Amino acid sequence: MTNGRARCLAESLNDALSHLMDTDHSVVLIGQDIGRLGGVFRVTRGLQERFGSTRVRDAVLAESSIVGQAIGMALSGLRPICEIQFEGFVYPAMNQIVTQAARMTARWNDDVALHLVIRVPVGGGIRAVEHHSDSNEALFAHIPGLHVAYPSNPMDAAGMLTYACGLGQPVIFFEPKRLYWKRTQQARTPSPHGSVLGGQTVREGTDITVVGYGAVLEEVLAAAHMLEGSIDVEVVDLRWIAPMDTDTVLASVARTGRLLVVHEAVGFCGVGAELVAVVAEKAWDSLRTPPRRLAPARRTYPPADAENGYLISVADVVGAIEEMCR
Amino acid sequence: MTDASERSTDQVPALHVDANAAEAVAAAGSVDVEIRRAMLAYMLLARGIDDEAVRLQNQGALDLWLSCRGQEAAQVASAIAVGDEAVIFPSYREHAIAVVRGVDAVSLVAQWAGRTFCGWNPRQHRFFPYTLVVGAQALHAVGYAIGQKIKGIAETVVVYIGDGATSQGDVSEAMNLAAVESAPVLFVCQNNGWAISKPSHEQMLTPIADRARGFGITAWSIAADEPDSTYLHCVTARRHVEATRSPALIELRTMRSAGHSSSDAHSLYRDRAELARAAANDPVSRYRDTLLADGVVDVAWVDRVDAGIELTCRRLLEAFGR
Repeated sequence: MTNGRARCLAESLNDALSHLMDTDHSVVLIGQDIGRLGGVFRVTRGLQERFGSTRVRDAVLAESSIVGQAIGMALSGLRPICEIQFEGFVYPAMNQIVTQAARMTARWNDDVALHLVIRVPVGGGIRAVEHHSDSNEALFAHIPGLHVAYPSNPMDAAGMLTYACGLGQPVIFFEPKRLYWKRTQQARTPSPHGSVLGGQTVREGTDITVVGYGAVLEEVLAAAHMLEGSIDVEVVDLRWIAPMDTDTVLASVARTGRLLVVHEAVGFCGVGAELVAVVAEKAWDSLRTPPRRLAPARRTYPPADAENGYLISVADVVGAIEEMCR
Repeated sequence: MTDASERSTDQVPALHVDANAAEAVAAAGSVDVEIRRAMLAYMLLARGIDDEAVRLQNQGALDLWLSCRGQEAAQVASAIAVGDEAVIFPSYREHAIAVVRGVDAVSLVAQWAGRTFCGWNPRQHRFFPYTLVVGAQALHAVGYAIGQKIKGIAETVVVYIGDGATSQGDVSEAMNLAAVESAPVLFVCQNNGWAISKPSHEQMLTPIADRARGFGITAWSIAADEPDSTYLHCVTARRHVEATRSPALIELRTMRSAGHSSSDAHSLYRDRAELARAAANDPVSRYRDTLLADGVVDVAWVDRVDAGIELTCRRLLEAFGR
């Protein structure tokens, strides 16, 4: 929304966490510097003062300890919500996430609920140093047993976080860093989405379906708005990477006949590859042009001076749409 | 402790253990006679199940078996010492502990026949599923203990690890976390001498108990081939955790008499003399002889236990034989 008074992503998440802790005393927060400091992005600002250091827990500097203890807490009946400071630092916890959290309910013969949310600030565009700008959601989406959330705006993020906290299965909850304190976002005309895990059409159009999620949706929507009058662009916010709502995408492509997937993570073996494959398998006959991905090449996220050349720009999106609709 | 025969479909003679009396006797530095009888019965049953599982694996009825042969004293004595109320996070070789916790033989073996990831109800037995990624469960145990503390529930949590697991970062992280959070967790490290083919002395320069102390955790290291002394030391360790509501670690020095798994040809890397020593010092037959000599059990009692074990083995054969 372009409403300047609207809560930004960090504030909206703070509101959601606060509400969750208020209404459910089994919710605890664990993360480095989330208490005294309020988190490196200040998402948890004020929560330790309000709920105490027993429930808003400043963690030791060890990501495996954060996730590993949270698994144990969840088995004890609590609902831990972890914060990892940056996506690049989640990897020490990867064993606990992949071999433990993701498999725990299956190991317990589905006779246990594992209420576990792992919040992970993701993505670049903030002139950060090495490891602080990466997007690797596809790695997590590949793991059975994990839900992967990737909201694109404050209000949706709050709802998705609340849902994640009550799911009873582990959720990797990606939060686009460059939206945390962004006060204005591109205008949307959202149609109601079918289910809480569904994707959402945030702009209706007839010529092409452009799918994105997270922060890059800003560039996608800006491009769609720029092309208004010449090309009628439909924009789908995927919202969840896993499970992936391909039905919404297929329904849209059935109307437009064209699919472009845009993401900030590298294209190789990525979310776009999965979506394009599904559309190719199930909607081949309705395609007017070959489906396409717009994503960085498979290379390491560069130093900040070069990140504008790495990230997908509005001009990149406009160019791809124009080529496909020519 | 409740009547073991009521808790398990596996038939061992009725074991009437008065927990309070046992505690009082342990405080006086000896082991209650009913505890001794119970330990022997569980050790014999665990051995019977282990032997039958080895046979079933040889016949192709089980895909894999990780024998606990040689570790029965360490496992049974520590499991009885921590009591029925403690929540146990096992590693993957704690079959004798499962037996103490009343997991029946068919449920115990099911995961090694490819039927399930966990054949028992973890909450009912207060014995959580096996964790095959070495050492990963240590952090879960600490987190569980912190969780219970947050909820105001006084509960003792016990996590079993092996000597190989001490090299895993998660185990060091778990000890540090337990120490700084004052989590009431008893770490039980069964050092059976080998991590598959890597001997313990190549796994660690500094003993695990010393390292635990470095994290600020009270620790002991004991020889655990004999159940009575193992039980008494583990009672001390459990009491420490319960009295201080802080972590402790006890290293149980034991012996893996078989290979790491049924796929492991351990004679390739183990000394013949070592294996002969292990066979000669078998904790199960030694304890049976001790209790017979002490008059704690008689031949008729042992025969009744053996008859029950035979029934258990028959049930295993019926469940898994092909």
